[in-house]
Amino acid sequence: MKQERFVALHREEWSELQRWLDLVDTKQRQALRDPRANNFPVEYRRLCHHLALARARGYSREVTDRLQRMVQQGHRLLYRPPAPRWHRALVFLIAGFPRLVRSEWRCMAAAAVLFFAPALFCLIALQFHPEWAHSIFGSAQLAEFEKMYDPARDRIGRSSGTDMAMFGTYVMNNVSIAFRTFASGLVLGVGAVYVLAANGVIIGGVAGHLTQMGYGGPFWRFVAAHAAFELTALVIAGGAGLRLGLTLLAPGRQRRGPAMVAAGWIGAQLALGAFAMLLIAAAIEAFWSSIAWFPDVLKFGSAALLWLLVLGWLWRGGAQAQAEGGDGA
Amino acid sequence: MLDTLRQIETPEGVFLRLRAAGALPRAQAWTIDFVLRMVVLSAAMIPLSLLGSAGMGVGALLMFVLMWAYAVVCEVWFGGQTLGKRAMGLRVVSADGAPVTLVPSVLRNLLRVVDILPGVYAVGLASTLIDPYGRRLGDVIAGTLVIHGGELPAGSQVPTAAPVAPPPGLAADEHAVIVEFAERCAQLTPQRQQELADLLQPLTGCTGEAGVQRLLGYANWLLGRA
Repeated sequence: MKQERFVALHREEWSELQRWLDLVDTKQRQALRDPRANNFPVEYRRLCHHLALARARGYSREVTDRLQRMVQQGHRLLYRPPAPRWHRALVFLIAGFPRLVRSEWRCMAAAAVLFFAPALFCLIALQFHPEWAHSIFGSAQLAEFEKMYDPARDRIGRSSGTDMAMFGTYVMNNVSIAFRTFASGLVLGVGAVYVLAANGVIIGGVAGHLTQMGYGGPFWRFVAAHAAFELTALVIAGGAGLRLGLTLLAPGRQRRGPAMVAAGWIGAQLALGAFAMLLIAAAIEAFWSSIAWFPDVLKFGSAALLWLLVLGWLWRGGAQAQAEGGDGA
Repeated sequence: MLDTLRQIETPEGVFLRLRAAGALPRAQAWTIDFVLRMVVLSAAMIPLSLLGSAGMGVGALLMFVLMWAYAVVCEVWFGGQTLGKRAMGLRVVSADGAPVTLVPSVLRNLLRVVDILPGVYAVGLASTLIDPYGRRLGDVIAGTLVIHGGELPAGSQVPTAAPVAPPPGLAADEHAVIVEFAERCAQLTPQRQQELADLLQPLTGCTGEAGVQRLLGYANWLLGRA
């Protein structure tokens, strides 16, 4: 069949479909309620057939490009992924995420060591060599920390600002740090190692310095509760970054490309989980940790509970479904 | 291959030809997005600053959303296009041409941190220049692709001429080339038309204006004009 006859035969059909596809792009709801929507898969396959014919018969770009554009539009519509559902997000957070963390336990353990080893070292070393604090922080920073955790204040852990202000700041800062830790793992893991160790030194240094100078009370009362979520999330983000870097270095029995895609897929999910944890941590830090007048029992009791909750969740979460050979998602 | 076409076979058995976008339009789209985000942030900060300290907290949350969530939300819920990409006619799709999903979108936007190194997208630029489909590192690892949205062909018509049957033995794509030449004729100067037609002198057997007319005749025949 010659090109012009082919176009004349099907022009009507194409422009109708094109009109509906354009409607989908602008008013999706209305377009999908239209009775035409039921016919779409059939019409789309017919269109694909026309495109294949047009190409095989050597029709010009005026025809093939137009058809290809419509097929592309249709492909996007027909093969669009299902809309993200809240239920799946919840299942992921409760079961899928801890399972993923456990399956990557080697990287997680390495990240935990990279973070907690320098932190503990600084914490202990500063008890015996208080002057070392000055090699980690500047004097202005030390003064700021001392002001934040002054036992005489009614709000601890901040120099100024309301709960809401601090919540915003914590979300912005902590999540950005976690995301950067993860992403910088791509640079052969160097970024993640650096961020983890540096944060270990800083957090250990602050803790050591304040404990040594007798401000340990307010400090530990402040950090104990939200640290359960915050430090674990940082370690998980770092672990995901390490995984990315290690895969780049040693992809194992796969080609590097597919191995990186797989590692990236896992890493992004871990980063999303860490993001959720950091939101919780920021809420606790802003609205609970800062209240100074709670008795120690309440403060440390709640902190112990949260640590148990987080570790228990990471240790057992989703284990049931896994044992039953459940959804594995 | 200098061509940045990526061919994808759909389940219907036809090939989709996606045109990968290079660094320049993407940088332009990014700049538009950047300016838009700055405008929104500054516009929001004015009333928020009147709310005092709590307003600053909301401002920090807004900054977080603009910095990390904006691109993901646009890509997953609004057809793979941020406003800047929409303005430039670009679209993020997954490697198989389907719309991008949540996890790859999150990944490609998180890995922007690496692509942006050292502050001026040097890593990303190097990656787009090396990769055959102009992907930055984040796209490579997330398995996504930035493409030009399909633009409609110009709709130009072949000028009418007396149909002449072309010599037998031409392949289908050679037929297409002849028709496309005829379609584009209106956009070319006569000199250029003749220059192009002269290349086909072995086929048409004539040069200059006669060659052009001969090719138009072939095209009319191929289109099926009586």
